[in-house]
Amino acid sequence: MITRRMKPLLGTYVEIAINAENEEQEQLLSTAFEAIEKIHRLLSFQARESELSQLNLAAGIALTMDPLSIRCLRLAFAMMKASRQYFNCTIAGSLVRRGVLPDHGFGNYLEAGNVDDIVISGKRVHLARPVLLVLDGIAKGYAVDHAIKILMAAGIRSGWVNAGGDIRAFGELRVPILLRQGGGAPVYAGDLQNAAVATSSARSELDARYQGLLVNTEGRPIDEGQWTVVARSAWRADALTKVAATAPRDEAEQLVARLGGTLVSKTSGIQAANGESAQIENLNQSQNGC
Amino acid sequence: MRHTPALIMMPVAAFVCQVQAADYLSTAEAQAVLFPQASTFSRQEVVLTKEQLKAIKKASGVRQRKTMPPIWRAEREGEFLGWFYVDDVIGKHEFITYAAAISPEGEVRGIEIMSYRETHGDEVRNQQWRDQFVGKKVDAPFKLNEDIINISGATLSCRNITDGVKRLLVLQEMVLKE
Repeated sequence: MITRRMKPLLGTYVEIAINAENEEQEQLLSTAFEAIEKIHRLLSFQARESELSQLNLAAGIALTMDPLSIRCLRLAFAMMKASRQYFNCTIAGSLVRRGVLPDHGFGNYLEAGNVDDIVISGKRVHLARPVLLVLDGIAKGYAVDHAIKILMAAGIRSGWVNAGGDIRAFGELRVPILLRQGGGAPVYAGDLQNAAVATSSARSELDARYQGLLVNTEGRPIDEGQWTVVARSAWRADALTKVAATAPRDEAEQLVARLGGTLVSKTSGIQAANGESAQIENLNQSQNGC
Repeated sequence: MRHTPALIMMPVAAFVCQVQAADYLSTAEAQAVLFPQASTFSRQEVVLTKEQLKAIKKASGVRQRKTMPPIWRAEREGEFLGWFYVDDVIGKHEFITYAAAISPEGEVRGIEIMSYRETHGDEVRNQQWRDQFVGKKVDAPFKLNEDIINISGATLSCRNITDGVKRLLVLQEMVLKE
């Protein structure tokens, strides 16, 4: 039977649902939440004691990091490179300067950097220039994937994880997805099966109810809009919403597709919700694809 | 052939509905999750005075609505483990009932969402979603249209929970300190 729990985590609400066959399997919900909490502890920019903050404070000195942190940094690095830096996790400086992210006593820092600023060597990482990394653009999706990896390895055949709208479904379940545009009513957008969906929004003003601010690769706020991407894994869907948001409008769809995602909506939302125009292919995805 | 990740579209019938709600845990279930080692939960009667409500607001920055907050004392064979609270927070779209476990020393031991409701006007009916459970070993499929809340959109912040817990910590310090 389907068992679900929800906790406030990663700055939002995280729901985990599994098709559990017995009570022992139900216990795996706690294991999956603990895994997400661990990623939150390691990669939170807000927490001064996180590994990410320690790296940002390390003034260029190499740190040995947890394999989970290393893996996320490697994915972020690869996505920065592949997306010609339309995805950029070195823009935290601009967000600290705008007061969106906390200043943990960084001293002098650059508002934005580039992919060469992140140097990963085995389990050690250092920053080549005084840039500040933030993984908020990818870590929620990464946490979703990690939780699902643990659940599948433990024998759970189907379920989903929803981290504040970064949703991935696995197994035979088809999970209906609603899309919310701005403050409007959510509309049905389709079913998710062995795939992930993520949405990012840029707003003209900071709103305490929503997190963060979307900035472009130079660290400047981007025009208001909303982008939804479907991909095999949640980290990729998550990161590709940032690519869609920051790439030139006429290139975004193609670039997202080249990087393994499908751009579902741009500014005005999903066409598919009310019509036949977006008959997206009905295909199952490989379950572990990243 | 390269498989493209897909949202699977299907015809849906829409109808109007005000609230979507998901119930995760009952009070007893939340107690068992947050204090697995406890053997008894005894209800602690607390009646807050106007002055105390004001003082909680002042110290936590958040308004305490209930004058009689539901609080339980968790014990294991007479050993005091901590306080169990059931509390509500209201956001722009969501209304949440959650449980918090706080140690006697004022340390948050855990938070569980008990019930999550989102209000909006649009809803879907999805026969295929229901059909996938027919004849399968699924004891409690979702009450469709009532408790599926997979909404993708601008990420909702869980700050109102953080604020709610801050308020409970102040309340505990003020009226439950032993």
